[in-house]
Amino acid sequence: MRASLFITCYNDTLFPETGRAVVRLLERLGVELDFHPKQTCCGQMHANTGFRGEAFCQAKRFVRMYQETDVVVIPSSSCVAMIRDQYPGLFEELGNEELRRQLATLLPRVFELSEFLVDKIGVEDVGAYFPHRVTYHASCHGLRAIHLGDRPWRLMEKVRGMEQVPLPNLDRCCGFGGTFSVKNAEVSSAMLGVKLQDVMSTRAEFCTALDNSCLMHLGGAMHRQYAGMRTIHLAEILASTETEPAEALR
Amino acid sequence: MNVPPASRTDSRTKILEEIRAATRTTANSIELSAAYDSIPRTYQRTGRMGAAERVALMIERLREYDADVVETNESGLAATITLQLKASGRRRFVAPQGLPSDWMSSEFEWNVDRGMSAAEIEMCEGVVTGSTCGIAESGTIVLHHSALEGRRIVSLLPDWHLCVLYASRVVETLPEYFARFQQLPAMATYISGPSATADIEMTRIKGVHGPRFLNVIMVQDIGTE
Amino acid sequence: MSHTGYHPVLDPALAPPFPKAVLPVLRNPQLRKNVAHAIDVIQAKRARLVTEKADWQELRTSGAAIRDHALANLGTYLEQFEDRCTAAGGTVHWAADAAEARRIILSILKQESASEVIKIKTMTSAEIQLNPFLEAAGVKAYETDLAEIILQLGNEEPSHIVVPALHVNRSQVRDIFAQSMGLQNLSDDPKALTAAARSYLRKKFLTVPTAISGANFLVAETGAVAVVESEGNGRMCLTLPRTMITLAGIEKVIPRFQDLEVMLQVLARSATGERMNPYTSIWSGVTPGDGPQHFHVVLLDNGRSSILAKKTERQTLRCIRCAACMNSCPVYRQTGGHAYGSVYPGPIGAILTPQLMQMNHAQSLPYASSLCGACYEVCPVKINIPEVLLELRSQVVNQERRHPTKFFDPMYLGMRAANLAFSQAWLFHAAQFFGRMGLKLFTGRDGWIHHLPSLGGKWTQTRDLRGLPKQPFHTWWAARQKETK
Repeated sequence: MRASLFITCYNDTLFPETGRAVVRLLERLGVELDFHPKQTCCGQMHANTGFRGEAFCQAKRFVRMYQETDVVVIPSSSCVAMIRDQYPGLFEELGNEELRRQLATLLPRVFELSEFLVDKIGVEDVGAYFPHRVTYHASCHGLRAIHLGDRPWRLMEKVRGMEQVPLPNLDRCCGFGGTFSVKNAEVSSAMLGVKLQDVMSTRAEFCTALDNSCLMHLGGAMHRQYAGMRTIHLAEILASTETEPAEALR
Repeated sequence: MNVPPASRTDSRTKILEEIRAATRTTANSIELSAAYDSIPRTYQRTGRMGAAERVALMIERLREYDADVVETNESGLAATITLQLKASGRRRFVAPQGLPSDWMSSEFEWNVDRGMSAAEIEMCEGVVTGSTCGIAESGTIVLHHSALEGRRIVSLLPDWHLCVLYASRVVETLPEYFARFQQLPAMATYISGPSATADIEMTRIKGVHGPRFLNVIMVQDIGTE
Repeated sequence: MSHTGYHPVLDPALAPPFPKAVLPVLRNPQLRKNVAHAIDVIQAKRARLVTEKADWQELRTSGAAIRDHALANLGTYLEQFEDRCTAAGGTVHWAADAAEARRIILSILKQESASEVIKIKTMTSAEIQLNPFLEAAGVKAYETDLAEIILQLGNEEPSHIVVPALHVNRSQVRDIFAQSMGLQNLSDDPKALTAAARSYLRKKFLTVPTAISGANFLVAETGAVAVVESEGNGRMCLTLPRTMITLAGIEKVIPRFQDLEVMLQVLARSATGERMNPYTSIWSGVTPGDGPQHFHVVLLDNGRSSILAKKTERQTLRCIRCAACMNSCPVYRQTGGHAYGSVYPGPIGAILTPQLMQMNHAQSLPYASSLCGACYEVCPVKINIPEVLLELRSQVVNQERRHPTKFFDPMYLGMRAANLAFSQAWLFHAAQFFGRMGLKLFTGRDGWIHHLPSLGGKWTQTRDLRGLPKQPFHTWWAARQKETK
């Protein structure tokens, strides 16, 4: 199985360890991974803030870049949601026939990480070992936009040694919302406070999710408050084994 | 913003012009009908319950609203009405113009509504009406304000309302009511429990305006199914 | 002087922008508690009933389709409504804007020599700021809905479209009633408070000959108006007076009587978490001997026809004012309704208010959302609120970026710089390098950033940020590729 990794602009810059974990995990599962060196951003930040023209430039670039690729794997539900939900409208408004055709052929080949594992490779037990108490946060894009459903749980259930604690009010937004976190920083923080109460109540050691965007927001507050809990992307848990534990544990 | 006063007709024309420009439709009535008919309707439109189950559900829902429900059959109806009136401890009642005389026992004072004033109705302690139908799923009683059901004011002002509902006129779902009554009423009131509010801290309080006491007599007038 | 001590401005033309307007609210624990409690109760009730309804999704599909069909043929259906309503004895008026609607209503009241009018709750009348206008013209408007009385007597503003006084708790209500009704020993038990309202209003219902209502639905086929309520004050107002005026937005029309079978099912469950609300009243025109003998409908445009014209935005007009969106909104749960500076708050308010203002005001509202999508999930007529929010955001940006002052606004500068960086890999990588260098100044010994200037400071107000790692992922990958060769 061949796949191309789209790391996402913010993972590349802020969470390279997540990318390294994705590589370790997928290669362990026999995936022949490649990485397009010219990749930058899917355009979500611009689109969601109202800068449509700019978002279109980035979307166009993305679609052209992956024309010849078999499969694109993306460890970020919000970026996948951007591509699936907003690219068609953007290309309808600003694109041309060719771009629309290119997008149509590309869309079925784009996978969020858990979708790739469960649906494309068809695996739930990825051979992971992570002996810690963990709670899972369902990011809104994963939950409502791309409907990941129970995929994350099916993967987490097979992680050896891991104790999973359900998160109360699971479907409530953490308050990140992209530029919302700075444009409406106070409300974002109020929502974060409420979410953090629920996360802390689980007494987990780690809060995990499939999006580093939410985790950056939650983890940033945990760190500020000396909360004694950390965040970790689910890819890093899934990549973790007895012989090669997650980087966060070393 | 200063908008020069426009006459009624001017605004009507202007608004309709804006709407026509916005929707760009020139559908004739056949096209409009066809478009209407193509609206998807895969929601439940017929009941799945048998008559007994349906009537039992209606009674259950009414009781959930704290409505007092008793059952009787057609021959026992008049007596049951009298019993309910006695149990209420009230004496002075309003009767819609079309209320059968054998429903109006002489033990009580009856004021037949032939155009009573609000003040006169206010002096009465209760009202007895018929009903058009019941909708079991939501425990709803439907009034079309026929002579048997009375003007809207008579089932509104008195504090105590006794409503006679025939089992043969209970449907399970709301769409069945709409399917059944093709003759559209000029007025309809749907009653689903006594009035209530949850405006104060979301605490549901019953009986704001409108009758605080709803009593229903379910008349079993259908054979077993 | 408002009773809760909070003075929001609910005029979108005058209200402060959302990020500013939320600040006093976020610092008010009582208000936040009142709102969160109310929201949690309604949410739970709705969830229970929606789970119970096996054909809920099918009802939503039909609800959306019925509303879309009505909107697509709005002119025809409005004319049909007017025709049938007039034939049944009603008089239909058309108001292009709020000012005209107010004038029409006042002239009807003056014709009747009315000095008082009783009102059934209608957000549309708040939209056109009717009460103060009538008061200035010598007509006192009495609200009869319990929440509206609380607001009127307590000098408060509505914060929710279905439960407008949810920000007021029972002891605050007690204080308001005790003061204005002159009741010395009134308890704060909701039962007692409701009983107080009942006796206070009874006299008004029986004596005031003119009433104003809104409409939940206008039925084109029969020229009927449908009013959905819980308390019975609606039935009082539309049965007892001599003259009835119904004010309704033009988008309220549905094609046929039968369509109520969908709309009523989804409205009750969404709005109050009930299978059916206590009272629904439907009437066409005038019935001799029963109810008001003079009946007027005032159809209000006030910006709706311009929303109708826009492809993505038209779905905003499907709204049946159930408030399920604000009940599910994690932002609203923290802020309540006043911060939106409009009588229409929450997710629907965030898209409706700026559009009714022709995008001349309330431009901060489309940004008052984290785009979580909970509203879309619960909307009974499937309004894709996030989609409309994004469309409106791009309109705001297109408006704002023309202003020379915006050129140096950190957000605009940042967005342009980021777009440039994303256009070429080498630019992106250079930006990462220089960004990391710049941020090093702010990175503490523990490898984390605790304070940033300007826009970044909005992040670090409450959150730390981990310092940029030395090696971005793409560099690690390239190095690894080199190694394996």
